[in-house]
Amino acid sequence: MASESKYLLELNDIEAGYGRAALVLRGLTVQVPPATVVCLVGPNGAGKSTVLKVASGMLAPRSGSIVVDGVDVTGTNSQHMLKHGLAHVLQGHSVFREMTVAENVLLGAFTIKDQKAIDERVAFVQNLFPIVGERWKQLAGLLSGGQQKQVEFARSLMVSPKVVLLDEPSMGLDPKTTAKVFEQVARMRDAGTAVLLVEQNARRALETADIGCVLDLGRVHISGPAPELLADPALGDLYLGGRPADSAHVGGSTAEPATKGR
Amino acid sequence: MSGSLLLQSVILGVLLGGLYALLAAGLTLYFGIMRVVMIAHSAFLILAAYLAWWFNRETGLDPMLSLVVTVPVFFLAGFLMQRLLVSRLKPLTLTMMSVLLTFAIALIIEGALGFIFTGTQRRIQLPYAGDSLNVFGAQVPVVKLVAFVLAAFALLSLYLLLKYTRFGRALRATIQHPEAARLVGIDTDRTAGYGFGLGLATAAIGGTALSLDATIYPSLHWHWIGPLMAIIVVGGLGSIPGAAIAAMLLGISQSLLQLPLGATWAQTVFYVALFATLMFRPQGFFGGRLAQRF
Ligand SMILES: Nc1ncnc2c1ncn2[C@@H]1O[C@H](COP(=O)(O)OP(=O)(O)O)[C@@H](O)[C@H]1O
Ligand SMILES: [Mg+2]
Repeated sequence: MASESKYLLELNDIEAGYGRAALVLRGLTVQVPPATVVCLVGPNGAGKSTVLKVASGMLAPRSGSIVVDGVDVTGTNSQHMLKHGLAHVLQGHSVFREMTVAENVLLGAFTIKDQKAIDERVAFVQNLFPIVGERWKQLAGLLSGGQQKQVEFARSLMVSPKVVLLDEPSMGLDPKTTAKVFEQVARMRDAGTAVLLVEQNARRALETADIGCVLDLGRVHISGPAPELLADPALGDLYLGGRPADSAHVGGSTAEPATKGR
Repeated sequence: MSGSLLLQSVILGVLLGGLYALLAAGLTLYFGIMRVVMIAHSAFLILAAYLAWWFNRETGLDPMLSLVVTVPVFFLAGFLMQRLLVSRLKPLTLTMMSVLLTFAIALIIEGALGFIFTGTQRRIQLPYAGDSLNVFGAQVPVVKLVAFVLAAFALLSLYLLLKYTRFGRALRATIQHPEAARLVGIDTDRTAGYGFGLGLATAAIGGTALSLDATIYPSLHWHWIGPLMAIIVVGGLGSIPGAAIAAMLLGISQSLLQLPLGATWAQTVFYVALFATLMFRPQGFFGGRLAQRF
């Protein structure tokens, strides 16, 4: 049964919320196939982070199921979710600031006992993110925002996860660094990891993603191949902030964020 | 004032600073782990001093041997205290409520000591109590030197443990970013409990060091908690190196000020330093980027 599944991660009909407040997610379903970047877009407060918290076990859903590579892992807490192959990179900065880059990355392998496997993995992430190797002995808190993000990516990849959950990796970064970070996201996919990405920076994220989903009122409203979503004029107006006039730019770094006035 | 008297004051200040540094390290550790203000830290210090005194009276052996029992017992007590009491406090008001909770624990310890050992002042009589070393004309009591070595050794062990062991890395990660720590597979609840255990273990060692050379009584802990709190604020809340540096500087200042001002007024150096810190640099002077503002 386990290897039969078409998807590495499935969130099925999830309902979730905080305390006694109203539900944030109301019957959300998302599926992530292998070697694919799935991007969930939606405005601030739509519940994007909540989706990832449910997926990584930080927040238990009220109902629905979480399936990783065919195995039902609903109810597993975040400390144990790694074993099932899920890694979560939090929104904002989450490096251990007063530790070196080396300590940060090696903590990513906290649950791994085999030193040889760790060494191989260190070489792998240093190759994927050169800056990590270059700044190996420096304090992580002293790096720039974009460099810290790459350290967080490297840390999350130490366990060779099947799926990486990325929460707004471009938040607080300038356009050039954002382009660099999305380039790294594509490299993670090409190295064989499936990615579930959530972003407010919708247009830029959809340019990197393979599949796009629009989150609205706690469920996935529209989903489809990312280029189609980008090209859909109605969608552009509603959710992506402006018309898709720049879609020819795919892969390049858009110097300006899309603005409403155009 | 003669040069050798000055030298003697500096040396005594360093020796006292070592004990302050160890105790402040424990206090700042609790704060770093979960923003807990641990008023009972010095009560545990005096409890350990009493246990050392009692052990010496009953067995006639060196009081430092009591560490074999008190260190593991205090570690366990700290672990249980965190798991069963502190972690049950609501996160939103945790810092404030931790003051009430640990204040109550301090009162309980003080009351129990008074009940069991009475309020009489106690002092260990060591065979080497009267010995002193002559260092360039300064007289340095051997007991104070032994107490310092004990404290310094404990502080160094704590540092090495935090810096180079798997547990130390887990504890620092838990302090610096609990959510991210959980996401790399660290059991942050248990790690925080062990961190508390470590804090109380330092109180056990500090108390034993104190017992070698101090007259103790149940309410003595009030005398200690003020200076220790001042030290960790001056050093930058949550920073162990910061606490150690501040402890040394303030210990030496206190010792030097005793010459012109006498013991009572010299104590005010802690509060002057505390007010100056709150006024000019609320994040503390030696804590680096991690230190919390009060
Ligand atoms: N820890 C929390 N406690 C209570 N409510 C929360 C918490 N985190 C998020 N929320 C609420 O859940 C909703 C969705 O939040 P979130 O998933 O962070 O949105 P997004 O990541 O899309 O900006 C918001 O209304 C927010 O106020
Ligand atoms: Mg969010």
